[in-house]
Amino acid sequence: MKFQLQLLLFVFVLVLISHSSGNEELFTEELLLRPLADHGKVLAHFHFEHRAPFPNRDHQHYSLFPKSIHQLVQKFRIREMELSFTQGRWDYERWGGFDPVSSSNVKPPGVELWAVFDVPPNEVDETWRNLTHTLSGLFCASINFLDSTTAYSAPLWGFQQYYSSGLRYGALPREAVCTENLTPWLKLLPCRDKAGLASILERPSIYNGFYHSQKLRLISTGFGSEEGLQPEIVLQQTLTVVLQSGSQRTTTRAERVHSWSISSIFGRKAKQRCVLAKSSSIFIELDRALVSQLRNLDVKLDEISDDYWNNSAFELSVTPNRVIKEAQSPYNGNLAVLYEYSMDKINSSKPTDIGIMWKLPMVWACLQAPFHASRFLMGSGNERGSIAISLRSTKSDLGFSGGNAIDGSSIQVVVFQVVPWYVKVYFHTLQVIVDGESKMVDDVIEKMHVSPSEDKVSPGVMEMILRFPCDTNSVVLTMEFDKGFLHIDEYPPDANQGFDIPSAVITFPDAQASLFYLEDNLSNSPMLRKFQEKNILLSYTEVLLVPLATPDFSMPYNVITITCTVFALYFGSLLNVLRRRVGEEERFLKNKASKRTRFFPLLLHKLSAKLRGRPQEQPEASSQSSSMGPKLVLKVILVAGVAIGWHFYFR
Amino acid sequence: MRLFLFFFFFFSSLLASKSNALTMHTNNWAVLVCTSRFWFNYRHMANTLSLYRTVKRLGIPDERIILMLADDMACNSRNKYPAQVFNNENHRLNLYGDNVEVDYRGYEVTVENFLRVLTGRHENAVPRSKRLLSDEGSHILLYMTGHGGDEFLKFQDSEELQSHDLADAVKQMKEKHRFKELLIMVDTCQAATLFNQLHSPGVLAIGSSMKGENSYSHHLDSDVGVSVVDRFTFYTLAFFERLNTYSNASLSSLFNSYHPSALMSTAYYRTNLYQRPLDAVPVTNFFGSVMETIHTDSGYRGFSNKVTRRGKIKTPVDQEISQNERRRLTSTIVQDHVNDCSPKDEYGILSSVWNSLHERLEKTGDTDTLVNYGLMIMLPLVTITTWLS
Amino acid sequence: MAKKKIGWYWVWVTTSLLFRLFLIYFPKDLNFTSRPEVSTPLTSLRRLAEGYWLKQSSLSPYAGSMYHASPLLLSILGPLTVIRLEGQPSHLFCSLLFVVADFFTAVLIRATGQKLQDAYSILPAGDVASLIYLWNPLTIVSCVGLSTSPVENLMVVLTLYGACSGLAPLAAFGWVTASHLSLYPSVLLIPVILLLGYGPDAPSRKLFLQKGSRTNGNKPPLAGRSFSWRPVIYFLLWAAIWAVYVLFLCSISLKQYGGLSEMFKRTHGFILTVEDLSPNIGVLWYFFAEVFEFFREFFLIVFHVNILFMILPLAIRLNHRPCFLAFVYIAISSMLKSYPSVGDPALYLALLGWFVTELAGYGECKLLLCDGNWLCLFADNSGG
Repeated sequence: MKFQLQLLLFVFVLVLISHSSGNEELFTEELLLRPLADHGKVLAHFHFEHRAPFPNRDHQHYSLFPKSIHQLVQKFRIREMELSFTQGRWDYERWGGFDPVSSSNVKPPGVELWAVFDVPPNEVDETWRNLTHTLSGLFCASINFLDSTTAYSAPLWGFQQYYSSGLRYGALPREAVCTENLTPWLKLLPCRDKAGLASILERPSIYNGFYHSQKLRLISTGFGSEEGLQPEIVLQQTLTVVLQSGSQRTTTRAERVHSWSISSIFGRKAKQRCVLAKSSSIFIELDRALVSQLRNLDVKLDEISDDYWNNSAFELSVTPNRVIKEAQSPYNGNLAVLYEYSMDKINSSKPTDIGIMWKLPMVWACLQAPFHASRFLMGSGNERGSIAISLRSTKSDLGFSGGNAIDGSSIQVVVFQVVPWYVKVYFHTLQVIVDGESKMVDDVIEKMHVSPSEDKVSPGVMEMILRFPCDTNSVVLTMEFDKGFLHIDEYPPDANQGFDIPSAVITFPDAQASLFYLEDNLSNSPMLRKFQEKNILLSYTEVLLVPLATPDFSMPYNVITITCTVFALYFGSLLNVLRRRVGEEERFLKNKASKRTRFFPLLLHKLSAKLRGRPQEQPEASSQSSSMGPKLVLKVILVAGVAIGWHFYFR
Repeated sequence: MRLFLFFFFFFSSLLASKSNALTMHTNNWAVLVCTSRFWFNYRHMANTLSLYRTVKRLGIPDERIILMLADDMACNSRNKYPAQVFNNENHRLNLYGDNVEVDYRGYEVTVENFLRVLTGRHENAVPRSKRLLSDEGSHILLYMTGHGGDEFLKFQDSEELQSHDLADAVKQMKEKHRFKELLIMVDTCQAATLFNQLHSPGVLAIGSSMKGENSYSHHLDSDVGVSVVDRFTFYTLAFFERLNTYSNASLSSLFNSYHPSALMSTAYYRTNLYQRPLDAVPVTNFFGSVMETIHTDSGYRGFSNKVTRRGKIKTPVDQEISQNERRRLTSTIVQDHVNDCSPKDEYGILSSVWNSLHERLEKTGDTDTLVNYGLMIMLPLVTITTWLS
Repeated sequence: MAKKKIGWYWVWVTTSLLFRLFLIYFPKDLNFTSRPEVSTPLTSLRRLAEGYWLKQSSLSPYAGSMYHASPLLLSILGPLTVIRLEGQPSHLFCSLLFVVADFFTAVLIRATGQKLQDAYSILPAGDVASLIYLWNPLTIVSCVGLSTSPVENLMVVLTLYGACSGLAPLAAFGWVTASHLSLYPSVLLIPVILLLGYGPDAPSRKLFLQKGSRTNGNKPPLAGRSFSWRPVIYFLLWAAIWAVYVLFLCSISLKQYGGLSEMFKRTHGFILTVEDLSPNIGVLWYFFAEVFEFFREFFLIVFHVNILFMILPLAIRLNHRPCFLAFVYIAISSMLKSYPSVGDPALYLALLGWFVTELAGYGECKLLLCDGNWLCLFADNSGG
């Protein structure tokens, strides 16, 4: 008995050890705060990461990892998936476009979803369909509108540099993003929004911001492709918001100083850490451009002294636990600085309000991508137009030197664009204008893949690689299109608002927006590790709004009856002609003519005879034509009257 | 197999019909529909959300509430208070709160989807949270608000739900044992006309106005810029705000609380399809989730009905990939496909000649020039033959 | 006198061609190319250029519901759309080709008219008809507006010319090509067979016969005419040969892209199932943009049967006048076709010139024209 008990205990301990060593679930939460160059706006970037071993049994039990997500991966065999809900548009010119946050966490407005499946190619579409429905149930959004083939596409290499046939991409630019989407997203966190960093998310203040993007990224390595790695599921949830810092103080020289703290921008204080999280930290980042500006003001950021967080330019409200510096910077040797606060060390009884107080007004320019991409429509009217994608050089050298892999002579740009079928693009009208000069398409475009849109079946997809010299000022791609006409049932209830063309994705594969840090021990910070990964520079263009001609929604019956009447009249009159025999007709007419000759037909006949330029010959023929006269005239007048009435009614 | 299935359904339906009269009220569901799009219809969304809040407060859990909102008002760019919806100008209560689950929103709120929810005839892929998974022990509250008229209710300002459609759906629900009792509450102009075609037993209907009457909004919030609540819903809420889960107010007391002078319309109750006396039915039977508890000494046998039901509900998990491919993935796949379907030697000599010609052509390579040659040959051929004849 | 007349005719022809060339030099200002009245999804040269571009980038020309016409047209016109000369308007060569096509059409109309008008010497109906064709603003617009309808019209006229002059192979060629290009001319099979069987209708003789029969009352009007089977069989034989040849060429050019079934689905199928709802001068788009989805098939059948339904009664009624029958068919189908453009009325208005001398005698013409007015007026209004 005792032996048995010992054995049981041994087994129990063994199980415990094996469980804790090999299959560990990990949850971390981090928040990055960065002052933006644009009038005191603050970027807040939340990063929650779950790691769990890949379920090798059917009924894997997880203690932290959300069950719904695990089921999703299992059922749809998802290798990788990203779902984002975004409101507002990231301002690449003022908020920066050359850092890990803006290149991999900035998303187009509305909902964007892409996923890579590990299923046979003929089942991918069906799996996608089911996935969209499931996600729509999970996140309270109309993601299921991505299930129709007109809404999603299968990019080959233009998006994410994937060469996988299992990739599907879809975007709903019009989708509203609100509390009901954030709540289920927060429910995936082990502490929900009750504790930890998520507890500072007050809905009204988030949705009052300038930009708001919640993202869910799922990576599973369990479907037997990568070897040597422990198969696991990684769930990254990020929330990127741009908020206005609360307090403003005007200095003597009428320059504004924007100081802020967590409570001033979110309306709540970070109270306590989520005890289930392995690490929980807040970072305040001063980016390279800001550091260079501070250097110009002779602010010492390099030496770690007691009051490095309280210098002549700014003061941090709470002493940071650690300062992390960038390892190498191509940008004039100005290294970005991170101040780390660990939530463990923050006393829950005495909530501290992390923030930054500026002593001097700071004006600096943000880091921009080498080219600023924008897209616009040209032309007018409801029949046709053209789309133009323009890449304008930001004239910032740092963009070029920022990337390591640029060879200096030319730059590669990948353009990926999905166009709904009712915008019928003429690909043969593609024109490339480099620095104002029209160029041959083959000179600039290295590689192109097009799958033209099919009416009511699939959208048009355009993927192309451009290569042009680095010193180019502007590159403009234009394409003409015809606007399609939809069936009355296919128009949404607010059709007069127009239709959206989802954002184009512009990738700069040569430029990388990674940040490397001096600190070796980043194992407990998945966010910083992610910043160090290969971050290909990526930017989204504007969503385009195309007004399409709308039919008269109120009167399908009128259209149907009028058209049918016209057809019936045609049919009837033709039948009437066929029924009569020439001989009979003539006899009938002769009888009629003998009775009396009316004045009006005679006149008409004379007129017609004159017009024909021939003398009146056969009385039979004349009587025939004249008798046709009044009828004909009456008919023509009737028709004209109806037509004119119709015309004016519509005007 | 089919026979077996037939018997299975036969017996199960027999069982169900037998048990229908006897089934206890076991669960509560609520379907709350706001059918109006556009910002100026803010009040309809506020109506629906107020009801949502009330039924949640009185105990119906989120997964048993189907909330349909035809537009996004909370994060609408015209909303001065983002992520907040108010039903009163004092702004004391944010109806949107922190925890709202909208099941159908925006363009999804259509007559078709509404009827699908009621009758339970969904596509396979539709998740459980968007389905009304009620059974013969369910009490369902169906609340609708929007713009309506004589025997119709407008959806999204473009479609109409007719009283016949509603009656058909309810009849279907009854036959499918999807409810035990159903309370339909409609806040719209001429709401009473919407119930004209109802014939199914166990249905109780409340409308905000009689035929020929309008339903009016209660008051305007000058901060939000639009009217925020309708009169009928306002007074319904006023009644419910006094209650909690334990109160015993009956339906008749709810009905008596409507005063035509306050509503500026006459509330209409259709009770002839409903068997129980109204003063004996607590409102929490529909607006809350308060169950009768029965003490039994023996084991629980309540599952016997549920087992039979389970066979009918198709969960999205049991889907198979059956839909044939409507689209092509990439051009490469198209080409593979096309090559596959080139005709086999089934059409005799002609096709074999054709095929051999094709093969030879394939060797020559450039087909375009070949076609051009063919077209060029056409001209002399035409002239020669014409000349010959 | 005759010589002078001919000279006068050629002067007018040359002027019309010069006028076209003149207009070609500023099509951008006139903006005919993108008018929905001129270029329908079937005849638009822009779509053809897109199809050619897709084919050049090794995609099916029919991928993406842009191009819906014959692959042979693509082979002929496709390369011409790409060639651009500096300082010249784009698609110059295509425009020139359309001018040439118009010229040939006019010449053939004249020749056919002369065959029909042996008896009359008062008014040269052929000259009149061909001049109507050349100077009709609708024809000019469709020629300058880069639509492929001049080529389709040429094929139709070629059929009628071949049939009138008893050249079975030519008629077969024209008929096969015309039906291949736009499907509707396939109804011309009946008038062509009648033309080859009975010979061209001689209106004056016929009228005379009819009048004679009425006054004398002894002879049925068609007693003197006999149906000769030989040319008809020749025609059918040649039609089969040409059909095989054309389909063979098509299948070669579409070998990698789905073959003939794809072609039929995308060309003739597109015509029959009115998929494109963009406005044109017809009524079908207007109707199908608003008709309830579940009635769509029914009305598709009704509208197409409307054309087919009239074929047999008209053939019986007008079997003594096959040329006029052909004209009536062309007129009906151009009014009721799914994607009509101004090029279609241009053709039948010109063919009306053949019967200019006896217009007075026939009520049905007027009725038909009246119907034409109906549909045109209606379409104009619905388009605007």
